Amino acid sequence: MSDAPIIRFVDVHKSFGSLSVLKGVSFDIPRGQTTAIIGPSGTGKSVLIKHVVGLLEPDSGHIWVDDVDMAHASESQKLAVRKRFGMLFQGGALFDSLTAGENVAFPLRYHTRMSEAERRAKAEEKLALVELPGLYDRPTSALSGGQRKRVGLARAIVLEPEVVLFDEPNSGLDPMTSDTIDALIGRMKQELGMTFVVITHDIVSCLNIADRIGMLYDGKLIEYGTVDQFLHSNQAIVRDFLKRNADLPPASGPLIPPP
Amino acid sequence: MNALAEFGRFGLFVATFARASATHPPPVRRSIEEAYRIGVLSLPILLIISAFVGTNLALQGYNAFAPLGGQRLVGMFVALAGVRELAPMMVASMVAAKAGTEMASQIAVMRIREQIDALEVMAINPHWFLITPRFIGILLVLPPLTVISIFTLTVSSYLVSTLQLGLNGAEFLAYFTDTTEPMDLVYCMIKAFFFGIIICLVSCFYGFNSKSGPNGVGEATNASVVVSAVSCALLNYLMSEILFSGRGL
Ligand SMILES: Nc1ncnc2c1ncn2[C@@H]1O[C@H](COP(=O)(O)OP(=O)(O)O)[C@@H](O)[C@H]1O
Ligand SMILES: [Mg+2]
Repeated sequence: MSDAPIIRFVDVHKSFGSLSVLKGVSFDIPRGQTTAIIGPSGTGKSVLIKHVVGLLEPDSGHIWVDDVDMAHASESQKLAVRKRFGMLFQGGALFDSLTAGENVAFPLRYHTRMSEAERRAKAEEKLALVELPGLYDRPTSALSGGQRKRVGLARAIVLEPEVVLFDEPNSGLDPMTSDTIDALIGRMKQELGMTFVVITHDIVSCLNIADRIGMLYDGKLIEYGTVDQFLHSNQAIVRDFLKRNADLPPASGPLIPPP
Repeated sequence: MNALAEFGRFGLFVATFARASATHPPPVRRSIEEAYRIGVLSLPILLIISAFVGTNLALQGYNAFAPLGGQRLVGMFVALAGVRELAPMMVASMVAAKAGTEMASQIAVMRIREQIDALEVMAINPHWFLITPRFIGILLVLPPLTVISIFTLTVSSYLVSTLQLGLNGAEFLAYFTDTTEPMDLVYCMIKAFFFGIIICLVSCFYGFNSKSGPNGVGEATNASVVVSAVSCALLNYLMSEILFSGRGL
């Protein structure tokens, strides 16, 4: 495994009509770590992450995934990249006509030669990993918001991808459930050794799980670095964002205890 | 200008769908399930409407021809108007209203809930996964639905002609069979086949391009039924001109 970043944004611009969402975003995402991108809602975090797997194409710039530029990749190159990725969508994006377990087993049906019994066993294993054992036959409509996200997470990792993208894993959840998801992400990173990219507007969650944090604001990544660097940012907007979070000490005080 | 751009996007959509279908294995089991669903959704209303269109064709045919002493021609009227025109159009309208709107709204919901994005990220082609089975299904089921509609309206107009209007049943059938030939059934099924293509592609197109927000799904569903019904009506006119011109009694 190389030290080169697994994902690399180079001066990415993206507009929808007259709405300019990304105005030149450049940064590297290291392999095997958890990178969090925060920012107020509506700044383009989802837009940013969708560029990584080619769900959106930039107006200009490059998104390198190893040596493939997703901005100019062929359909088959995109497919090859996507097979290395899992993604948890904001609302879970589960298929309503399938049960929880069938949703998890779904990618196996199309990308492996497993028998139905093997697929079921694998899906049950992943459901247990996200702490939802025995929910295979539960209809999707009967799941709570937190359960949906966890089933979505199980589906995202069922093919054991190298990289998992999370779009707001905590949004819409109560603090307890939110903490459970954070703990789950932390544990999975240790157990599975994957690269995680987490989009969130929740700074607490960021501090819980991230190795590196970036802040997207007004179309640009205005701060990007290790958690320590981020907490000591001298950018007014970053400090403002940190200060507004009730669970944190005031930005003027020591933000993290010295080692 | 807007309509032209929309039409261009539709063309692109159809090309994408065609390529996806050609490069993936046909989803046989899911296509049959779709055919069954489309049939079950549309059949009850189609039977009812066809039966009552048949009754009224007999009544109006009688009103038109009886004053001239030509009430024997009711069978011919039913054959020309009912079999060739109304049955295929009724099938198109009912299937657009029931199955087409369901396709549009289901796919629109999947779009705004990011389920289509999820398919893409799972490296499963959404055009193939979502449209191909619906396309095969509708093509499998529309021709037989047309035959069922023709049969139903013929029986109901026959019953009204003989039991209510007191016409001679043998005469009705004689004029009916003189005017129609087995080829007409084939032509009607050809019409239905093309209507199926339009309804499926138009409905799926609006579903795929649904806007997010509270009105997105409703707008997509509405547009799908309006555009597919109008397109079918236009095509019906063109195809009748091509298939049936000069072929009367
Ligand atoms: N497909 C799209 N078409 C048009 N506008 C979009 C699209 N996707 C996102 N946007 C707009 O881009 C902006 C950023 O959206 P998003 O990335 O979802 O924000 P967030 O940071 O909350 O995830 C929003 O104003 C949104 O309306
Ligand atoms: Mg978002």
